[in-house]
Amino acid sequence: MKILLVEDNQILVDELKSFFEEQGYLVEVATSFNLASQKVAVYEYDVIILDLGLPDGNGLDLIPLVRKTSTETIILILTARDAVEDKVKGLESGADDYLTKPFHKAELNARVRSQLRRKKFAGKNELTFHEIRVDLQAAQVFVKGQPLNLTRKEYDLLIYFLYNPNRLLTKESIAEHLWGDHIDQADSFDFIYNHIKNLRKKIMAAGGKNYVKAMYGMGYKFSEESK
Amino acid sequence: MTTRRPVKLLNQTTAFYLIFTFLVFFVSAFILSKMANHYIDSYVQSRFSKYENRLKHHLQKDSTLSHLPRYLKVKKVSDLSILKTLPIIKDTLIYSDELDEYLMYRKRKAVIQQGTQYFTYVARVRVGDFYRLRDDFLASMFIVFGVLAFGMIVFNYFLSGYLFKPFNQILEVMRTYKVGQGAKVQKVYTVTEEFIKMQDLFHQMLEQIEKDYRNLKEYTEDMAHEMQTPIAIMRSKMESLMSDETLLQKHGPQIKTIYQQLNHLSRLGNTLNLLTRIENGEFQNKKTIRTKDIIEEHLKFIQELAELKHLQFVTDLSEDNVFTIDPYLFELILKNLLRNAIQHAPENSKIFIKTDENQLLISNAGAELDFPPEKLFKRFVKRKSNGETLGLGLALVKKICDLNNLQIDYQYQDGQHVFRVWKSS
Repeated sequence: MKILLVEDNQILVDELKSFFEEQGYLVEVATSFNLASQKVAVYEYDVIILDLGLPDGNGLDLIPLVRKTSTETIILILTARDAVEDKVKGLESGADDYLTKPFHKAELNARVRSQLRRKKFAGKNELTFHEIRVDLQAAQVFVKGQPLNLTRKEYDLLIYFLYNPNRLLTKESIAEHLWGDHIDQADSFDFIYNHIKNLRKKIMAAGGKNYVKAMYGMGYKFSEESK
Repeated sequence: MTTRRPVKLLNQTTAFYLIFTFLVFFVSAFILSKMANHYIDSYVQSRFSKYENRLKHHLQKDSTLSHLPRYLKVKKVSDLSILKTLPIIKDTLIYSDELDEYLMYRKRKAVIQQGTQYFTYVARVRVGDFYRLRDDFLASMFIVFGVLAFGMIVFNYFLSGYLFKPFNQILEVMRTYKVGQGAKVQKVYTVTEEFIKMQDLFHQMLEQIEKDYRNLKEYTEDMAHEMQTPIAIMRSKMESLMSDETLLQKHGPQIKTIYQQLNHLSRLGNTLNLLTRIENGEFQNKKTIRTKDIIEEHLKFIQELAELKHLQFVTDLSEDNVFTIDPYLFELILKNLLRNAIQHAPENSKIFIKTDENQLLISNAGAELDFPPEKLFKRFVKRKSNGETLGLGLALVKKICDLNNLQIDYQYQDGQHVFRVWKSS
């Protein structure tokens, strides 16, 4: 999988580069509009993560260039400008998703993976983690072949975990993923615990192991080593 | 201080002018009548003197009292005591055969000495016409005053529309002006010095306000915007740190605090950004929306959040509730008011959402505010017990309402916090 990272902030670039490389992606970087348009003209990428506010141009203008040669490439807009028009324009001109800075890396990862699933594996759209199998198309979860009856939020939560295995997902990140800004930061995120508890209970009731691990009150990790 | 009913400027000037004119008329009428009387008196006096002279002249030649005009009525005086009471002058009505009417005369009964003899005589002069002339003249003055006053009031009525047209236009421009819209202010044409001064001052003030506003806005915008990338980096670095379990074990609480504060900062930036963009009028996709479906949809979405606190939504939604607003902004109003309600409602309580033709009411139970309610919609005002909240949600709602012809208020009634949104008329 090849990712092109179009972003002018060097630190963020390094951060994201190593983040995606850790997961086995091949990451290329363009720190300006010019560089990006050159790369796009020559190579084909599976994913382009695109910052709109570039020093020498608007990232939006890159989208048509990409779309000329490839409809398969996933374009994910990343911007500090949370402007509705930008969002609409971006999606209209062919971007696949939109994420506002600052974002949680886990969220970005989940978005990239879900887009990849949608576009690249249209035929066999499944996620598996040991005995857990998720049919993404039917939104159905099986543990050891036995279907689980999950609520919408529990399902979303599980997918979020499965996209980010072995990684600490903070309560904030989970809450934001599930609820957007319907919750205030003032709310204690204890309610997430309810969802986690229910999810864990349902998986274990179907004979699965307990993969969800609480991390020092910071968040949760979906990891191999079960307790 | 007692407040008095406001009076239009032109009416005030007219009133003063009328009082002044009335005084002038009154004084001149007084003077004129004095002058007229004086004239009549002197005229009559000269006639009397003439009679007297003629009589004297006549008596010198002939003391028999014959061949005298009948109206002089000369008599020889036998009782001298009568002389002390003379002369008597008085006005009287005398019947005229010729004209068949009473005529006003002035009579003078006086004494005249001829040698050792005394005669009384009565002379008379017709004065009725003079009096009539004088009275007609005075009366006509008051009629003129009446016509003038009436004319001025009518004229004033029509003139105020004409003269004050530029003034009202300037007022209208001021009233409809919105700071930060960058709209060019139209100059109202007027030759009235006061209005020109006012308009110039208004334009100067606008310029200054616009400048200040731009500066402030740019500052907020830049702050909110430029913050995001560094925060994204910090958060990402923190998340990397957090994946190190030994580190978490050792420095868990510190890392947690930094991470939480970072999130706070990030939300702050986002929300301030949103506020600025709402102020900039970026959401102009105004539509007339039926709120029932939107509210129901929204409630479905947050149902679970409410259930976590065992809260129950009680709705009474009218099909006829309609607002004209960008749907995204309406969502924001709902989202913030409901989030607020969920946050502050005690567990196992109810949240009421009610709409009728004109308004939207959202209420929840809870203890009274620990700060004055009028501060509720201000930025960064929050309960003491509510440390982590942004304190921008209600300010955001208020801002949206202000910019979309909606009113919002808050009341604490019977242990319920009630928020009401309605259309301004």
